[in-house]
Amino acid sequence: MLHIKPIVVALKRHKAGTVLIALQIALTLAIVCNALFIIQQRIGRLSRPTGMVESNLLAIQNRWVGVDDNATGPLIKSDLQALRQLAGVEDAISTNSFPLRGGGWSMGVRHDPDAKKPVSSAAIYAVDDHALSTMGAKLIAGRNFRSDEIVWVEQKAYAASPQIIITKALSDKLYPNGSALGKTVYITDTARPSTVIGIVEHLQVPWSGTWSDSFSDCVVLVPTQLTGNFGSYLIRSKPGQLAAITATAPRLLIKNNRLRTFSRDRGVRTFETVRAQAYKSDRGIALLMGVVCAMLLAITAAGIVGLTSFWVGQRRRQIGVRRALGATRHDILGYFLTENLLIGIAGVVIGALLAIGINLWMVTQFEMARLSMTYVAAGVVALLLLGQGAVLAPALRASRVSPVEATRSV
Amino acid sequence: MLKMTHLSKVYRTEVVETYALRDFNIDVKEGEFVAVTGPSGSGKTTFLTIAGLLETFSGGEYHLDGIEVSNLNDNARSKIRNEKIGFIFQAFNLIPDLNVFDNIEVPLRYRGMKAAERKQRIMDSLERVGLASRAKHYPAELSGGQQQRVAIARALAGSPRLLLADEPTGNLDTQMARSVLELLEDIHREGATIVMVTHDPELAARAQRNVHIIDGQVVDLSEDPRFHTVHAEHTGTTA
Amino acid sequence: MFAYYLQLGLRSLQRNPVLTALMVMAIGFGVAASMTTYSVFLATSSNPIPQKSSQLYAVQVDNWGPEDSDKGEPPDSLNYTDAMALMAAHRAPRQTALYPVGVSVVPDDQSQLPSPESTYATYGDAFAMFDVPFLHGSGWGAAEDDAHAAVAVISRVLNDKLFRGANSVGRQINLDGRNYRITGVMDSWDPQPLFFDAVNTSGFSDPVQIFIPFTRAVELKMATAGNNNCNRDPGLGWDAWLHSECIWIQYWAELPDRAQAVAYRQYLHGYAAEQQRAGRFRWAPNVRLSNVEQWMDHLKVVPPEAKISLLVALGFLLICLVNTVGLLLAKFMRRAPEIGVRRALGASRKTVYAQFLIEAATVGLAGGALGLLLTGVGVLCVGLVFDPQIARLATLDLSLIALTLLVAVLSTVLAAFYPTWRAAQVQPAWQLKSN
Repeated sequence: MLHIKPIVVALKRHKAGTVLIALQIALTLAIVCNALFIIQQRIGRLSRPTGMVESNLLAIQNRWVGVDDNATGPLIKSDLQALRQLAGVEDAISTNSFPLRGGGWSMGVRHDPDAKKPVSSAAIYAVDDHALSTMGAKLIAGRNFRSDEIVWVEQKAYAASPQIIITKALSDKLYPNGSALGKTVYITDTARPSTVIGIVEHLQVPWSGTWSDSFSDCVVLVPTQLTGNFGSYLIRSKPGQLAAITATAPRLLIKNNRLRTFSRDRGVRTFETVRAQAYKSDRGIALLMGVVCAMLLAITAAGIVGLTSFWVGQRRRQIGVRRALGATRHDILGYFLTENLLIGIAGVVIGALLAIGINLWMVTQFEMARLSMTYVAAGVVALLLLGQGAVLAPALRASRVSPVEATRSV
Repeated sequence: MLKMTHLSKVYRTEVVETYALRDFNIDVKEGEFVAVTGPSGSGKTTFLTIAGLLETFSGGEYHLDGIEVSNLNDNARSKIRNEKIGFIFQAFNLIPDLNVFDNIEVPLRYRGMKAAERKQRIMDSLERVGLASRAKHYPAELSGGQQQRVAIARALAGSPRLLLADEPTGNLDTQMARSVLELLEDIHREGATIVMVTHDPELAARAQRNVHIIDGQVVDLSEDPRFHTVHAEHTGTTA
Repeated sequence: MFAYYLQLGLRSLQRNPVLTALMVMAIGFGVAASMTTYSVFLATSSNPIPQKSSQLYAVQVDNWGPEDSDKGEPPDSLNYTDAMALMAAHRAPRQTALYPVGVSVVPDDQSQLPSPESTYATYGDAFAMFDVPFLHGSGWGAAEDDAHAAVAVISRVLNDKLFRGANSVGRQINLDGRNYRITGVMDSWDPQPLFFDAVNTSGFSDPVQIFIPFTRAVELKMATAGNNNCNRDPGLGWDAWLHSECIWIQYWAELPDRAQAVAYRQYLHGYAAEQQRAGRFRWAPNVRLSNVEQWMDHLKVVPPEAKISLLVALGFLLICLVNTVGLLLAKFMRRAPEIGVRRALGASRKTVYAQFLIEAATVGLAGGALGLLLTGVGVLCVGLVFDPQIARLATLDLSLIALTLLVAVLSTVLAAFYPTWRAAQVQPAWQLKSN
């Protein structure tokens, strides 16, 4: 810190190199901050829980071929019976959708059927009394459906169920100061009321996109089995049996009835695959940003090493003179580290402003969140350290320049 | 002040060992003005770099101002250079990025001197060499003679016990060389010890004492017949 | 002279292999990142039907009103009532309502399993409107539409699979247990984005394999395999749903010139006004007519991931170039004495420029070669970030190869201008003065 003024004076005589390094640090900081922020946001999405016990879970999406929508009821019943008896199966349900499936129903939940705007949107899972055990969802209040409450109905003929189970998140939205248990709510805009008979701790909606973030854990379970040519089976295997039933369950279903199809890439999936597919682009973007960050930091470090090495080479004689005039090795090392620190500080100041500017622009363009200052601070520290690390090798080389260098003629 | 006994300096490469100095003995007393002369490659520059602690030596002893320097580490050597020695180089060696004032300040900064004292000393030494008005100029804006006078001011600013000059007029024309030499003589009269390396006999003649080096050893000029031939070779070649 | 400069450049590059490698890598990585993401951006933002994109219009009619719509925009799909009214009015030379249906091909061989195929229910006009190429036969006509006929158009791939590539026109195909007569076999046809149903596919999907008449699908009560959105409870059963305000139909009109587009917009406005007078719409007419490109913009088919990664990659390239400017400056200025001598020996500023720019261009070319290699790797890795439907569109074709090299060389030469200018400022007497 002793020599800041003469360093600044000397830098003024090397404007181009100084500006280039500062600019590179600034741009790198701006991009790395935003990239890290994107990574954190995406990773944050990836790690959201579904509320289910995700191990030992198999999902099969089934489409009937050439069966009237009203006539699939007995086929589904027969499938369920066979699946529940299959060796290695703990339990199984038929449902219209499940967490992270990608497609499903959402409805507006209201206190009052005449209310114009619903309190919240919520995903509907039409299931039976085996749902909680199959999904591994935790009931924290009330009771499960009884088997006599389950009704079979064609999809387009579904009317709001008299009994429903909802998630705690939805309950909290509906009744912030109490529990929704036992209360009456409206899940459609008809005057048909539903009574909340149970509350589960957590269940996620079928969608993973940002548009559903406002109600991502608002789910209503209805005691209904929908008939129609399209539906899903969720199957919980006994521990260690997942691989076995992934092979046997589809075969069993085809044996049961040949006129069905499973879609190519989303037909038969372990829940691990479901999760991977749902968050593919989130994970991909996080990965891409990570790679770009790493490459950027490497390139910037290499650039600093390159330019500083050049400077050291250019100033060998001057370093020799300084040594002859009494500079210790430490003084020379300190000179180059301080010089880099000064350039780095200029760079990060510009870079921090740029990072915030870019983020503000992205907020308007891509519905992104505002950049947290923690990231800017972390980026600033990281880049200053990177600069010091990168300059270390050339600076050490400079400190080893012999004072004899001063006497050599050019 | 500066005493070398049986000093040797060997440059080793994979194939050969070259003695730059061999059984080298010299004793410079405080307040002396000594000129070290000798032909190219005789070892006079090596002598100067070792005397100035710019390089280490291979054997023998070197006492500088009473201190045996062979066992000192790099930091201690830097400190001695900084406090006891002032350098004047043939190529001036001003730092081109710094102006005159900042150049003279360099050794004072390394000494950790307070800003006020630094300023006082810089102005005094600039005054001494007659360039006080050029403090804000950059080296490239000065003539060769002016640059060398700035270099002398830089050497003087730290009040060194010993001034080492390496062909101080080698890059200057006759007129400027004369004025620089007069400056050195002034400094000497004020009590400084000066060791000057040169191959210019005219310059050497201005010193109190001449030490002649040939093949890495000090030779007695009056007894060595080679001196005369060497001298003849070098008269008139000042390049 | 060029050859001489090239030789000088190559020799100079060999002299500082580390510095050279650093520059080549910086340019290579920067260009590769930009080109890889650009290939995705290009694929997702391309015009799927350039020859007709300004004549095909997606129709929106606001049947939900300001309360239920998003910022005053009419919904992206139509309900059945409005779609049928527009079809019946027949105000455009060609038009079609369409929606995706979940249909499987049932093989004759009882031991084979049915296979689900991407299928759309459309009107016969669709084939001419969308420039669908035919290998055999053709689409169906208005008569079949009116008759709710059991006819189908299948893809070349499906024809190869089911009929071993033979001309299957006139033969039957079993879809969901019902027979359809094949009227035509399409040649390879894969517009991406899948503009006519970007609402349900987010723009990208595997090629369509089967078309069947819209009228037939509705008669068989085939529900949409895409999105169905309701702002009110539609009531119970198929008929209630069909006549509800639930939206699920895409509607396209072909309007060959401006005048017809203007006229059609007026007609739509008039239709909405009529619905308002009849009391069905309790709001002022709110209709939109968007050509293909406007429609793709409106639906934001270019995934935000593609835009963000392109921007990040361009930022990356910029940093790599700043880096290159610095390194070239170091490299060139290290040779200031050499330049001084050359200048003293009679080299003009111009020749200094030529020499150093050519040296930079060789660095750029080497960077481009590395970039090309990395772009190839990058394109293969696009699947890690994007859905397979998008990833399959990003390819390293000839134009991308040329562009990669061009960008590498141009950007390096651009980056070299400042260092070269500095080099050219070196005075012939530089060396003498420095002492």
